[in-house]
Amino acid sequence: MSYDEDSEKVKLGKRLFTDVRLSTDNSISCASCHILEDGGADKTRYSLGVNQQVGEVNTPTVYNSMFNLSQFWDGRAATLEDQASGPVHNPIEMASNWNEVIGKLMSDKEYVDAFSRIYENGSITPDNIVDAIVSFEKTLITPNSPFDRWLNGDENAITEDEKKGYLLFKSYGCVACHQGVNVGGNMYQQMGAIKDYFSTLKRDLTKADLGRFNVTGKNEDKHFFKVPSLRLASKTSPYFHDGSAETLSDAVEVMAEYQLGRKIPEDHIYKIVQFIETLAGKHKLLRATP
Amino acid sequence: MMLQRSSGLVQYSLIIAMIAIVFVYFQTRTIDVEQHNRRVDLLLQLKQAEGKLDRDILQVTSFLLVQYDPFVETTHEIKSLSEKILIDDLSIGEVDYHLIIDKYLASLKDKFELLERIKSKAALVRNGLHYLPVLIDNVKSEDILIGDELSQILNHIYHYYILPSELDTLTIINEINDFRNAYNVDKSENSMIKDTIFHMEANLQLSHELLLLRDNYMTIPSDKRFDELYDYYNNYYAEKSRIAEIFSLTIVLFTVALLIGLGFAINRIIRERNRSEYSHNQLVDAVNSLSEAFALFSSTGELILYNYRFIEFYPWINKRLKNGLTLHEFSRLNHDNGLVSENVNDDLQANVTDMNSLSRTSHIEHLVDGRWYLASDSKTTSGELVCVRVDITDTKESEIELRKLYRALEQSPVTVMITDTQGTIEYVNPKFVETTGYTEDEAIGQKPSILKSGNMEDEDYKELWETISSGNTWSGEFQNRKKDGTVYFESTSISPVRDTSGNIINYISIKEDITTRKKVEDQLRMNATVFETASEGIVITDTNNVIKTVNPAFTRITGYGLDEVIGKTPAILNSGLHDDEFYKELWSSLNSKGYWNGEIWNRRKDSAIYPEWLSIAAIKDESGDVQEYVAVFSDITRRKQDEEQIRHQANFDALTKLPNRSLLVDRLSQAIVSAKRLSHKVALLFIDLDRFKSVNDSLGHVTGDELLKQVAKRIGECVSESDTVARFGGDEFVIVLPDIVKANEAADVAQRVISAIDQSYRIFGREIYVGASIGITIYPDDSHDSNTMLRNADMAMYRAKEAGRNNYQYYTSLMNEQAQRRMELERDLRKAVDNNDFFLVYQPIISIKTGDIIAVEALVRWQHPRKGVIGSDIFIPVAEETGLIGTLGRWILKEACLQVSDWKSQGLDIKVNVNISSRQLTLGLETSEINDIIKKSGISSSLLMLEITEGFLLDGTRPTMKWLNEIKKMGIGLAIDDFGTGYSSLGYLKRYPMDTLKIDRSFINDILDDKGDASLVEAIISMSHSLGLDVVAEGVENEGQLELLKQLGCDKAQGFLIGKPVRPEEIDLPKAINM
Repeated sequence: MSYDEDSEKVKLGKRLFTDVRLSTDNSISCASCHILEDGGADKTRYSLGVNQQVGEVNTPTVYNSMFNLSQFWDGRAATLEDQASGPVHNPIEMASNWNEVIGKLMSDKEYVDAFSRIYENGSITPDNIVDAIVSFEKTLITPNSPFDRWLNGDENAITEDEKKGYLLFKSYGCVACHQGVNVGGNMYQQMGAIKDYFSTLKRDLTKADLGRFNVTGKNEDKHFFKVPSLRLASKTSPYFHDGSAETLSDAVEVMAEYQLGRKIPEDHIYKIVQFIETLAGKHKLLRATP
Repeated sequence: MMLQRSSGLVQYSLIIAMIAIVFVYFQTRTIDVEQHNRRVDLLLQLKQAEGKLDRDILQVTSFLLVQYDPFVETTHEIKSLSEKILIDDLSIGEVDYHLIIDKYLASLKDKFELLERIKSKAALVRNGLHYLPVLIDNVKSEDILIGDELSQILNHIYHYYILPSELDTLTIINEINDFRNAYNVDKSENSMIKDTIFHMEANLQLSHELLLLRDNYMTIPSDKRFDELYDYYNNYYAEKSRIAEIFSLTIVLFTVALLIGLGFAINRIIRERNRSEYSHNQLVDAVNSLSEAFALFSSTGELILYNYRFIEFYPWINKRLKNGLTLHEFSRLNHDNGLVSENVNDDLQANVTDMNSLSRTSHIEHLVDGRWYLASDSKTTSGELVCVRVDITDTKESEIELRKLYRALEQSPVTVMITDTQGTIEYVNPKFVETTGYTEDEAIGQKPSILKSGNMEDEDYKELWETISSGNTWSGEFQNRKKDGTVYFESTSISPVRDTSGNIINYISIKEDITTRKKVEDQLRMNATVFETASEGIVITDTNNVIKTVNPAFTRITGYGLDEVIGKTPAILNSGLHDDEFYKELWSSLNSKGYWNGEIWNRRKDSAIYPEWLSIAAIKDESGDVQEYVAVFSDITRRKQDEEQIRHQANFDALTKLPNRSLLVDRLSQAIVSAKRLSHKVALLFIDLDRFKSVNDSLGHVTGDELLKQVAKRIGECVSESDTVARFGGDEFVIVLPDIVKANEAADVAQRVISAIDQSYRIFGREIYVGASIGITIYPDDSHDSNTMLRNADMAMYRAKEAGRNNYQYYTSLMNEQAQRRMELERDLRKAVDNNDFFLVYQPIISIKTGDIIAVEALVRWQHPRKGVIGSDIFIPVAEETGLIGTLGRWILKEACLQVSDWKSQGLDIKVNVNISSRQLTLGLETSEINDIIKKSGISSSLLMLEITEGFLLDGTRPTMKWLNEIKKMGIGLAIDDFGTGYSSLGYLKRYPMDTLKIDRSFINDILDDKGDASLVEAIISMSHSLGLDVVAEGVENEGQLELLKQLGCDKAQGFLIGKPVRPEEIDLPKAINM
């Protein structure tokens, strides 16, 4: 699967991704929450939609999302295509609809020309808009991380501490869920598999906390969420669906407590965090250092 | 030839059809195979992907696959293949197949769901497997012995996971329990040991759950479903192929059958041709033996077949026959040889028309040598022309003779009908048709009795038949009936017709319509009868009005016999009740229009006077000169009485069509009786329009009446059918709600009525507004009879008016008390006027500019023996209503003038303002009286000013105007009081000789706070000045108001700030000097 980053369709997709006209009051674009130079997400707990409305879950990164088994925290969209129209219509996100969006794009001659060049039916349709955005999103992958280079034989690509971090990551069992090319993103797991996470919270439970239950309606799926990729985890604080962990160390500590059932030493946490930092690869839109 | 051509066509189309069939056949076969391969491929791909999924699941549950990316890939692949199958399913369109696909996809969905659970669960188990060694290492670092034991258990767990057949969970659980007991783990302080045991147990539990999930996954019958799907599809394809094969075989068989059929067809065509040649020869023989001439022209006009008679009939064609003859040439030759064609008349046509032949035309051909042929030309279906000629020379000659006679009958101005000896109609002429309305077709074949009117005696017909059957002619009159039912008279003569041997063969009747003549005779007869028997009196006079004749009714009504009146004039009946003008008008109408009618009072012979309705008509001759006068009259004494009766009985108001007062009382009483019996309530709503009087006064009665009609209509729309709306009189309406449960139902109706009436009215192009005040009373709550109810409701209505109009009030007993009090007040007031229990107080009016008192307003107070001093606002309205104001007003005027005179004697020139009510005018306060009062008091008239209200002016009548002008002439000042509360405009005031305008206190009250009021006052002041009026502000209560009024240019002020009304001796006189 390779996508020509310079193809016209990808350029169109990028323009749409950053176009505020996809929101009802022209205030935000996809890129407002999925800040491309900043890890593909924003640094807030819950992002703000139009009219400063507060979202219900923490924004996940758009980078490497094509590798996920599904989209959104609860996996309600099977594909990137299915996902793309979600935020456009969500009343607390972009609060718009395709008719409104198309109406606005039609008045832009550049768009009219671009769509007519790229698409067979030549017009600005929801399908075509989604197709362009998804084409762009599929170019958002971050290969060539230090860890990748180490796996490929470059012994100096990561430090000794980072290697120890990797071993700890494995021996504490983190790797059971965070595995695969994206180090996560290919399965669902219960938040609080060993120790009940939600009953210890100091806030009221929300519908979003039910996770995958909201999609399947089955009790077994309560509090199950898509295991997030750790690829760019070092750049996408805060963490978890509720954005409750402010730093990566906090996140590792919480994971150890609720998924493993114990507190782990601080230096172990530190090393695991160091390991996770080696997972971040490169993309030309992504700022190199955090 | 034709047959050959058409068989060739059949052959060609057959070949084309066959090629098409074969082509289609191969086409469908090729498409089927290609599609089939694709479908099978798709199904197999899906199966393969599913297999991969199953394999990966097994690996995951055995912890051989540690990362889940392959699942993501495979599930995406399966989803995309499934979508393809669903799309392809549409092209197959089999319901069963669709269901099977659905089932299979459903089982895949089940798999996906379990797959995700397995992934999560396996991850948790694996998590433990990673972590347990770490834990045990930690334990070992503290206690190597315990650590070893735990390692042992962990090894067994691993062992169990890898080779589950050699160990079972029970063994391991026992081991763990042994360890737990041996080291008393539950009470141990060592959290790491506790953790280890916890994770081991959890891990075993999770792995147990994982295996259950795996087993569930494996039992999902997707394999079976896939096989069903695959089999179904293969069967489907096999069936399709089989049908295709059968189809192709059918085509082959069909083609062979067609070819065989074709052979037979060609064979038959050849035989048919032979047979037709034989028929042709037979036909030639047959036509030659005909006695008629016969020829057959082809559709292209060539002569194909003819007989010898044909050549005999048209000898000139003989020599042309060798070269062939066309229809066109045939016609030309006929024409050249002097043959004349004429159309056959209808009778003949009818005789020769054979219904079986198609498009036949007939005509008669007349030859130069005098022969006549009846020619008949028929087109056959194939377009050939069959010509048949018959020699009709003999019949034709006799027909011409007949025709002459026939024409005579046809054009006869009298009706002619011919019947056979049985009376059946054989012939009728057009006049018959015209007279009776029956057409020829309808009449012929019928008996003359179709004309029977039923007014003739059977005897008449019997005599007729006897006469004519004996060979004689019968003459007489018939009363007959036309087809449309009208009866007519005819004079008839019927004669028998004999043949050469003298036998009667027909009857001919000649008739003439004599209806018109009959009618004139009847009319005359009838006129005479009417004259004799009419119940109206009839008098006929000559041009000099001398009586020529009278009828019996005349005698009956007037008492005069015919003999007594002939030669006299109708003046003998004169009652003396009508003046000369009346008779002059009567004659002028009679002479100009030719008639007169009207009501007139006459005197009978016995001197009794009676009313009659008289119609006189002048009868003129052709030249338009009057010949005589006919007077018809009826005694209407009785009718007059009836009318009177009706007027008495009339229950409805003529204007609004609503029940009137008497009917209302009737209904109200009924409602009370019924309510008493059924114990419900009756509500009475008394409605009085607000401002109606001013509409009536200012816009006239016509407008007022129209308004009342519209109001009545609106009220009617507010109530239901069973309620009564009545016009009580003037602008008062009453609603009776005969059946209510709660008193507040009446309030609902009242509110509706108020809202309805309150809307604007458009009358004669004007926008008009009125309101309604309603009083409500309830039976049995307030009263028990209709009169009391009406009085109570009226009282409540007055209360509503007092409460500011446009609202409703329920009657309360308090109102009754107030009414009582008012009656008491009235009684006391009468006494007070008799005793002169009044005194005057004076309120100063100052000049704003100087602050000096320049006038006082005289106000009356009542010194009540028991209640003390009573203000004018309490008793003046009562005084006005009772008329006591007349006496009281004179006294006030006199008293005020005397006071001025008194002041004058003290050297003070103080002007006095006295209020005059319009009621005083109607009570006859003459200007001369006022003059007398002034003279008697000895003051100058210029010291008196009369204050009148706007209502006074609204009257607008000439007497009022005159009165005011006279007052003005006397030098008395005139002020308009309380300006702004009424309806007059400043422009309106211009028409009256006013000097001063007093702005009502209500405007002054808020002048400081309400900018609207301030600017209104300013406008009034400046407009008043422009009209030359002085302005007085009433009710000035503080310095601020006075200051503002000064700024606004107001001339004078009055009010508590300046001084309250006081006894004359209390006035601050120094202020009043130097006026």
